[in-house]
Amino acid sequence: MLPCLIAQGDSGNAVLVTFLIYIIAVFIIAGLSNRLLKSRNFLSEYFLGSRGLGVWAFALTLAATSSSGGSFMGFPSKIYSHGWILALWIGSYMVVPICVMGLLGKRINQVARTSGAITIPDVLRDRFNNVSFGLISVALIIFFMTFNLVAQFKAGSEILRTLLGPIDTFNNLVDSLPSWFSSLSSQTSDYLFCLVVFGIAVIVYTTYGGFHAVVWTDVMQGIVMVVGVIIMLPLAINQATSAIGETDSQKTGMALVTEEMAEMLPPRFGTATLTISESQAESLAVPPGTWVWSKPEDGSAGRLFKTRKRYVIAGTTTSVVDAEVLEIVSPADVQRARDSLVSAQNANSPQLMKIHAVDVATEKYVAGADKPGAYVTAPGPHRDSPDGFLPLSLAISFFFMWAISGSGQPSNMVRLMAFKDTVTLRRSIFTVALYYSAIYFPLVIIFCCARILVPGMESEPDRIMPQIAVVLTDNIGMGWLAGLLIAAPFAAVMSTVDSFLLMISSALVRDIYQRNMNPEATEAKVKKLSYIFTLIVGLGALFGAMNPPEFLQDIIVYTGSGLAAAFLAPVVYALYWPRSNHQGCIAAMVGGFATHLAMYCVGFMKGEGFTPYRLLGTDPIIVGLFASFIIGFVVTLNTPPPSDSIVKKYFYKKVEG
Amino acid sequence: MATDQGQVQQEESQQYVLDPTFVNSRREAIVVFLCWFVAMCWAVPYCYFNGYNIADPADMPTTFGCPSWIIWGIAAPWIVADLFTTWFCFCFMKDDDLGIAGDEEHLSENMEVTE
Repeated sequence: MLPCLIAQGDSGNAVLVTFLIYIIAVFIIAGLSNRLLKSRNFLSEYFLGSRGLGVWAFALTLAATSSSGGSFMGFPSKIYSHGWILALWIGSYMVVPICVMGLLGKRINQVARTSGAITIPDVLRDRFNNVSFGLISVALIIFFMTFNLVAQFKAGSEILRTLLGPIDTFNNLVDSLPSWFSSLSSQTSDYLFCLVVFGIAVIVYTTYGGFHAVVWTDVMQGIVMVVGVIIMLPLAINQATSAIGETDSQKTGMALVTEEMAEMLPPRFGTATLTISESQAESLAVPPGTWVWSKPEDGSAGRLFKTRKRYVIAGTTTSVVDAEVLEIVSPADVQRARDSLVSAQNANSPQLMKIHAVDVATEKYVAGADKPGAYVTAPGPHRDSPDGFLPLSLAISFFFMWAISGSGQPSNMVRLMAFKDTVTLRRSIFTVALYYSAIYFPLVIIFCCARILVPGMESEPDRIMPQIAVVLTDNIGMGWLAGLLIAAPFAAVMSTVDSFLLMISSALVRDIYQRNMNPEATEAKVKKLSYIFTLIVGLGALFGAMNPPEFLQDIIVYTGSGLAAAFLAPVVYALYWPRSNHQGCIAAMVGGFATHLAMYCVGFMKGEGFTPYRLLGTDPIIVGLFASFIIGFVVTLNTPPPSDSIVKKYFYKKVEG
Repeated sequence: MATDQGQVQQEESQQYVLDPTFVNSRREAIVVFLCWFVAMCWAVPYCYFNGYNIADPADMPTTFGCPSWIIWGIAAPWIVADLFTTWFCFCFMKDDDLGIAGDEEHLSENMEVTE
């Protein structure tokens, strides 16, 4: 019933084939997009798709860009690790489409057309007729996006490595790589290989195809994501119910799953010495995710552990000390794992059954340990925080963050400048609302079921998405389908990276070169530079990701919320407040950026690394946005009003009197 | 000179009114913000009072197989939010003229020729 307990990649070839088909499709799209560049205004087409996006293209590019790799790797991992509380964590996605597209969409599109703007710095510069404002916003975009791009490249490589890792062909290829290749990076060879494959694919199709290539691949990626979720949902519920088997409970279906989850206990993390009774002639590899028993004592069955990393017991030795392990403590999980292992693992890898864990030292979760119900109630279990996964202050912060800070992302704003007309906007908001409804809540259900189907995946939580895809499809004898499901997270991270790449190159070509250095540049020159800058930025991020900095995931969070803290208030004032001026909006931008940064600096000085200081327990984005709006408002009222001509241009319309 | 006088007369005969696209956008933005605020005021407090610190999780009520606090705190409002979004998109939001940017004038000319 649970082949996942041993099998890491039975559907490996399907994954590989799907991946290759996917890459080929992406390049075909880039080729088609490049044709459009020849018949239209290059800059407008390359960076903004000639402001002509229809409903499907606009809706799905926005949805896919927002659903970064986090939605299909990080989010499932969190659901699996913390349970039903993730429904509240993601709850504000019920209003994200209407907020992200409805708050600014119509107005920013109109202002961009009025000013002829192609980028967000363009909009701000022209709206206030102020060169400095444009340059400050360019500087902030490049600062945040460069860090984020490096982080996203790393995430892309990690996802690809997770997907391809269990495939023999891939491992053989990595083993055959020359030594100079491995020396390019501080990371492992397989990481570097995946980074190069991922990076070159994204850089080439984005550079060659421009905005339309990005949009069309987003559409394809968006479809892959929703189809994957729709297929997985019924499979997950049915198989989880079957896996629970016969119980005394009267409940069935999802109710049975929830009841089972209510009895679960969080696992324990720790270390152990892995031993075998007698030395082997050859070294024995113990892959990550291998089940290991403690030696039975006093007639008991022994405790059950799962290894978290790859270990090798050398041929002349009988043990490995301080191996990182995870102990499963829920009785039902232990029983299911035991049954499955006895029936299946003996036959597949009998030598692994000889391994035992001794000298075990484990630690309980700080929140939710030894207390049934942690996975079905709030604030959810947490390994380190005594307040649990989602205390009330963070619940409010996240409700604020997804909807409001999503509206302040320049990558979303650029897309809002690209739709064709208001009919497209209206239909797209509706489409994205349905799209998110079909994805996010079902994902919570699917990965709650995954707790039943694949116990102990806290040892490698980021692998839960590909693992559950393999399990669900293998159990119905359709392993090839795993390839499609596994393509979803890869598609998600690709669609985010290509958008960021284009954002940075547009800032360099349009906002710095054309607007400030050479306004008379010919189209041929601009075209050449656009290709070159997109290529250079992409390669720069690729090289940066070869030796990625620490705290990478924290950097992604920092840049996402920092961009919103810096950009939302000035853009809202610029669009909706006729009295706003460049002094007030620059102050709002710098103030939001500085306040948000200060929260991180305080956290760093308190010795918490890259973890920000949380004023009143709230996320820095709330403090940053609050400061940005207040500072902008006060400075605007204390500085001269904007010129009459500017106000008339953007807020009034001539009528014959 | 005569031309200048003509321009002045023409400008005097023109009046400026608030751009209807701006007015409609602002009205819609306020409604969107209120929608987010109402959603938060329902979802977070409801989940807090019904999902946090439950004394006996074994007796926790379920609806459609999910914890009831999730269904009434998140799933049901999600459906309501979708219905509201539908109303907003098809009944409330106005179709406005967004103008034509310089870089797309040739496209609109092509479209006119095609039409």
